[in-house]
Amino acid sequence: MSMKAGRITRIVAPLLAIPGTILYLASYFRGAWLLLAAFAIYLAGRAADLGVPAAAEVVRRSLRRAAMPVAGIVAALLIGAIIMVSTGYDPFTSYGALFYGGLVRGWSVSVLNATPLLFTGLAVAFAFQGGLFNIGAQGQYTIGVVAAAWIGLGMRLPGHIGIPLVFLVAALFGAALNALPALLKVRTGAHEVVTTMMFAYAVTTLSPMFIRAFGGDPSTSMHPYATDQIPASFWLPLFKDFLPKANYRLHVGILLAIGAAFLVRFVLLRTGLGYKVRAVGHNPVAARTQGISVGWITAASLLLSGALAAAAGATQALGLDHRMYQDLGSGYGWNGISVALLARNDPVAIIFTSLLWGLLDSGGQFMARTTRTPNSIIEIVKAILLFLLLAEVIYRKAGSSFGALFAGLAARMKAFGDSGGGGGQRGRGGGSGGEEAGA
Amino acid sequence: MIDFLTALLTPQLLEATVRLSTPVTFAALAAVVCERSGITNIAMEGIMLVGAFFAAWVGWKTGNPWLGLLGGIASGALFALLFGWATISLHINHVVAGAIMNILAFGLTRYLMVVCYGRQGTSDAIPLTLHHYKFAIPVLTDLPYAGQAFFDQTPLVYLSLLSVAAWAWVFKRTRLGLSMIASGEHPMALETLGRSVYRVRYFAVIMSGVLCGLAGAFLSIENSNSFTEGMTNGRGFIALAANIAGGWRPLGVFVASLFFGFVDAAQLRAQSLGFVRLPSEIFLVFPYVATIAAVAGLVRKSRPPAAVGKDFDIESGGE
Repeated sequence: MSMKAGRITRIVAPLLAIPGTILYLASYFRGAWLLLAAFAIYLAGRAADLGVPAAAEVVRRSLRRAAMPVAGIVAALLIGAIIMVSTGYDPFTSYGALFYGGLVRGWSVSVLNATPLLFTGLAVAFAFQGGLFNIGAQGQYTIGVVAAAWIGLGMRLPGHIGIPLVFLVAALFGAALNALPALLKVRTGAHEVVTTMMFAYAVTTLSPMFIRAFGGDPSTSMHPYATDQIPASFWLPLFKDFLPKANYRLHVGILLAIGAAFLVRFVLLRTGLGYKVRAVGHNPVAARTQGISVGWITAASLLLSGALAAAAGATQALGLDHRMYQDLGSGYGWNGISVALLARNDPVAIIFTSLLWGLLDSGGQFMARTTRTPNSIIEIVKAILLFLLLAEVIYRKAGSSFGALFAGLAARMKAFGDSGGGGGQRGRGGGSGGEEAGA
Repeated sequence: MIDFLTALLTPQLLEATVRLSTPVTFAALAAVVCERSGITNIAMEGIMLVGAFFAAWVGWKTGNPWLGLLGGIASGALFALLFGWATISLHINHVVAGAIMNILAFGLTRYLMVVCYGRQGTSDAIPLTLHHYKFAIPVLTDLPYAGQAFFDQTPLVYLSLLSVAAWAWVFKRTRLGLSMIASGEHPMALETLGRSVYRVRYFAVIMSGVLCGLAGAFLSIENSNSFTEGMTNGRGFIALAANIAGGWRPLGVFVASLFFGFVDAAQLRAQSLGFVRLPSEIFLVFPYVATIAAVAGLVRKSRPPAAVGKDFDIESGGE
């Protein structure tokens, strides 16, 4: 009976969560209620399956997972505020504008910012899982844009053929850009940081040449350079088509990106390839003794990483820009590194970190417009946040003091004669929280 | 083609080669110093950028380029110290910490541009640059071919030549150099001898900050007269490649940097000649392609230090 309840909730919860997510992303903020309801139903299912303490454990674990990032964000914002005060800006109005702009007024811009970031973040994370640092994701992003402009401007195709074709070609281009770094890494051990970075600089430098080749006019004073518009049959569908009040620019790329996050998670955790990639990333020597071909797996993770980063470029070109612009420091590749690091290379966590980065960017622009505080302060806050959350020593120490706090609370609850049984376990769970999150 | 080559290979080209290789030489020496001690430093791009900003700002505020130079060195060393703290004491993965430092450097210099000059882009020009102090060394200038290129130069170019010699000597002849090599090859052995790996690595990181600060100062107050956002243009990463191509040795790295300086100079010259009908972007790409080629061709000839990039934690027995 109770097992059946669990099975039903496992179907019902996603059925609520998916439309809730779509609504929320399209600035229908009431979608949050659907998400909360989905979480409540999921908890109820857990409680029915495994009993109330297990469900409570889920809540506690989610809170514990959120505690460190939230503490990190607060600390980074505080340091940012100190910098602002010491250079003559008002942190209260600035941060007010930042969050109003990022979360409410410009939420659709935040989502648009997060879309390519999610792809590049996945690209960097996938390579990281294989022990490689694809620092040149920016170049693969740009080559993805090139692929979209090339196909989109050169062929007349209906959308259901054209869009998949663009993504396919972009993925091939992105992988091809990483082919030489992969070969050099496997054959000679040349560090991929140097080679992928050089390819990124080369492609970014060459991008005006591509734009001219696709018919952009170099003699005009247009700045930045851009190609003609890609025909509308290649454009990604808009949220507005099925949710009339959604922002007119918001395209479904974010849903593709979220889908890609779950796909990458599935590949990494549930397939043979993913297992091998993680084994090589964790310990190449041990992987070799297991009979894994370290060279091929290394090459495969760099190539797939390149393909994912190129998908970011294709999404941006087909969804938002509808043409190829000269890249004047969009930074989707570089920021992809940040969101992957912040998520500790967990594909699903990158959904949240890329949204965070997206909202900091759009909020930062709103802040710069309304309060004259330079939005580069946001770049500093981002770096501090990364620093705080990746310093494992700080993390571990803070984690264990949090753990001690939870253990203390659990002991006190036990003393009150709360449901019992789970108390001791709860304390231990809390104590290991730091390491668990730090691993 | 012959015409093209004769037009290309002029004494001015040799002079430009030496001049343009200077920032790469400094940064590549920084890479040698760090990697020989066991630290993978991809933060050099950012450290250079911070050094370039503060050199230009102090030089502009005081009107004295020598004080600007000091500002560049000090800010580079401080910024590198932060990187050292992250990698050595906080045990953050070196590559990850380096990436964060680069992000921080870009954000910080952009922010400081607005705070100090009230705008983005390029800073105010400093009244007097180090280029003003260009001087020829009497006898050596008269050497055939390379004399003028090497010995009629600006102060930091000379300093880069001296630095190469000094670091070559440190690694060859001194106990300090030996400690650094041990720290990069087998840190536990160094620790057993009673010398602190942390201390050696902190020294190396701060020295790399000084060198990158010099590289940045060269860009902003010797080779030009102002700071421009992102003016390092990947030189920190090219320096990493020069370090690999030069086999982790000061003299080898110097030759590799000269090669990159030559590619840069040839690129500028070929572009200005203009009789080759190619898009200008092709020339701009030269240095990056040359870097890949150099890494591809030369990487197998040498071996990186055994413990480079690996965290050393004395509390857990060196792992």
